[in-house]
Amino acid sequence: MSREPSPGMTASATPAEFDRRAREALGDAQLHGALHRATTLFAERRRNAMASVGDWESARERARAIKDETLLHLDRYLEQFAAAAERAGAVVHWARDAREACAIIGGIARARGARTVVKSKSMATEEIHLNAALAAGGLEPVETDLGEYIIQLAGETPSHIVVPAIHKTRGQIAALLAAKLGIAVGDDVASLTAAARTTLRQRFAAADLGISGVNFGVAETGTILILENEGNARLTITLPRTHIALMGIEKVIPRVADLDVFLQLLPRSGTGQALTTYQSLITGRRPASADGPDELHIVLLDNGRSAMLARAVTRQALACIRCGACLNACPVYQQIGGHAYGSVYPGPIGAVITPQLAGLHEAAALPYASSLCGACRDACPVKIDIPALLLHLRGSVVERRAAGPRRGERLAFRLYRAAMARPALYLLAARLMRAAQRLLGARADGALAARLVPPLGAWTAWRDLRPVARRSFRDEWSHGLGDAGRGGSETK
Amino acid sequence: MSTAREAILGAIRASLAASRAHDRTAATVDHAPAASASPATPARAPLPVLGGATSAWAAASTTVPGDLAARFAAQLEAAGGHCTRVTPEAAAAAVAALLERAGARHVAVSSSPLAARLAAPRAARWTLVHAAEATRDALFACDAGVSAAQWGIAATGTIVLDAAVERSRLVSLVPPLHIALLHTRDLRPTLADVLALVAPAGGAPSHAVTLVTGPSRTSDIELTLAIGVHGPVELHVVLIDDDDPPHTPHDTLHPG
Repeated sequence: MSREPSPGMTASATPAEFDRRAREALGDAQLHGALHRATTLFAERRRNAMASVGDWESARERARAIKDETLLHLDRYLEQFAAAAERAGAVVHWARDAREACAIIGGIARARGARTVVKSKSMATEEIHLNAALAAGGLEPVETDLGEYIIQLAGETPSHIVVPAIHKTRGQIAALLAAKLGIAVGDDVASLTAAARTTLRQRFAAADLGISGVNFGVAETGTILILENEGNARLTITLPRTHIALMGIEKVIPRVADLDVFLQLLPRSGTGQALTTYQSLITGRRPASADGPDELHIVLLDNGRSAMLARAVTRQALACIRCGACLNACPVYQQIGGHAYGSVYPGPIGAVITPQLAGLHEAAALPYASSLCGACRDACPVKIDIPALLLHLRGSVVERRAAGPRRGERLAFRLYRAAMARPALYLLAARLMRAAQRLLGARADGALAARLVPPLGAWTAWRDLRPVARRSFRDEWSHGLGDAGRGGSETK
Repeated sequence: MSTAREAILGAIRASLAASRAHDRTAATVDHAPAASASPATPARAPLPVLGGATSAWAAASTTVPGDLAARFAAQLEAAGGHCTRVTPEAAAAAVAALLERAGARHVAVSSSPLAARLAAPRAARWTLVHAAEATRDALFACDAGVSAAQWGIAATGTIVLDAAVERSRLVSLVPPLHIALLHTRDLRPTLADVLALVAPAGGAPSHAVTLVTGPSRTSDIELTLAIGVHGPVELHVVLIDDDDPPHTPHDTLHPG
């Protein structure tokens, strides 16, 4: 690769690259098994968990209304959040883009002479490629979430928002620990987990800096909320002397009371739990007598988010609470997994966020990585209309020629438009097609036996070519269909 | 003033202004599904514009059936934790039994006087490591941690630890066994009730409030549940029944 991937990307997602990776994934039987197990299990747990909420639909409406209200006044809520956090003793930083965020975090680390950095799971830090930036500055960031730790040891990127190492087997993980840490460990889950706990305890004990993400930031109090199950985030934000939290500007919500509805929705949608094991509400700096870090830094990250506010259709993607339910529901994700997307955020939500964060040209294939079935929209706890956003982005890809010139496609649509706008041309075209399909011959089910030649062959490689009706509705009508209820139209 | 701050706030304002102009004219020509799914940008209203807990959803979720203590215990067990209900007189014996069963030699205690009293060593079987004085290494070497909990949430079997009330952040996290002491009078039906207590009337919560539901867990390897990955392998709540009428405890919660 000639250069570092853009923020939000792990690899290029041009149509050719996406196509190649998707085909590779489709041929990977082990990946298929893992994806099938995971997405089926999560969907089932989610359905069970939803049933324990009195009125799921009202909760979704409420959560979306809170997000809409916040996003429509985001400047004011952010100012309120920053002021409250500073009042409580936090230091608030603002980062326009990934480079600026990495520079701020690296600067804090250098100023404190930090060497070992422990990290809890954060998609925003993945988005800005923080680990690479810290390593370039001589620091050693250690991922402490078990799945993220496995991924880091393997030198890979997460393939699922909630379960980063979903694509790896026990045997592969045991081999990885043996190769990278030199420890012989059985390949049962309990032994693997215990080995990781022991190794990471030493890293926690030595760490001088802890970096976390943020699930929600509360404007009225400056509180940040961090959800997790393992306890690694609690260790990350308690043990080191300095805690840095990276927070996308869209994470702010107005009040502490608003956390209630989001905590009903997020764990249930993500893992099917009523609550994750731990919720940490952190507000500013500790008093001298209490335990915890000496200082709290909150880095507010824009990185393309503010531009998404400019249209109602794109703005809704900022309501996302990163639960991963749309991944599990998506028939495309179920088949190809997270890595094929080439984006930090995979699946349906990744397909709509990434082109807006990384740029359309980088991610031109992603808006097409969907059948527009709408399962993502139905699963989304904040009712993001992902199919509408995919269509909008497809329009932008065409307008800006982000997927290349596509001359053939343009010509085809120009001819189509000309024919549809001129009755004489339309009739002529239909007559020509009827003449052509008589020569091609039909199969028993009525589909044409022929396949088209490239580049139109891309259409018929996966689909039957349906024939034009032998007699058009226009013919039927002119022969008296309108007079009596005489006979159905003949289409055979 | 930070230039990045002004740039980001400026970009947000410019985008929102563009959106208002666009949404007014384009709702019919842009993609109709999106326009109907998200409200058009209204004029700016004073903050906050959303009502309080008046939604249909809030009304449906505020009731928790049955006895709070029974509900709490059942939910905690469902989350993989354990609950023992005791009278105030029997609490110390219950804590000692748990520590003995675990074979604890070094027991970390928070700064809660109750925790120190109930975990007091019996027959020198274990020594206490006080969170306020202990080194990090001493805490890492403990077999068990004993703290109080400030509140309990019956609907989910959750305990709430407020770091401003006692030094419990590491005691409740680092040792493999966490024993939490909770009074039944501090049980509340729902999360919403507890949020209103930790941040009363828009006031800020203390610097660290932690909600804990069951032992540390992960499903990161082949989606197989493993208990005790970074935090405690075992969470045991000793629920102390008190005959006192429910009151508003924690006058110490927000000193000053």
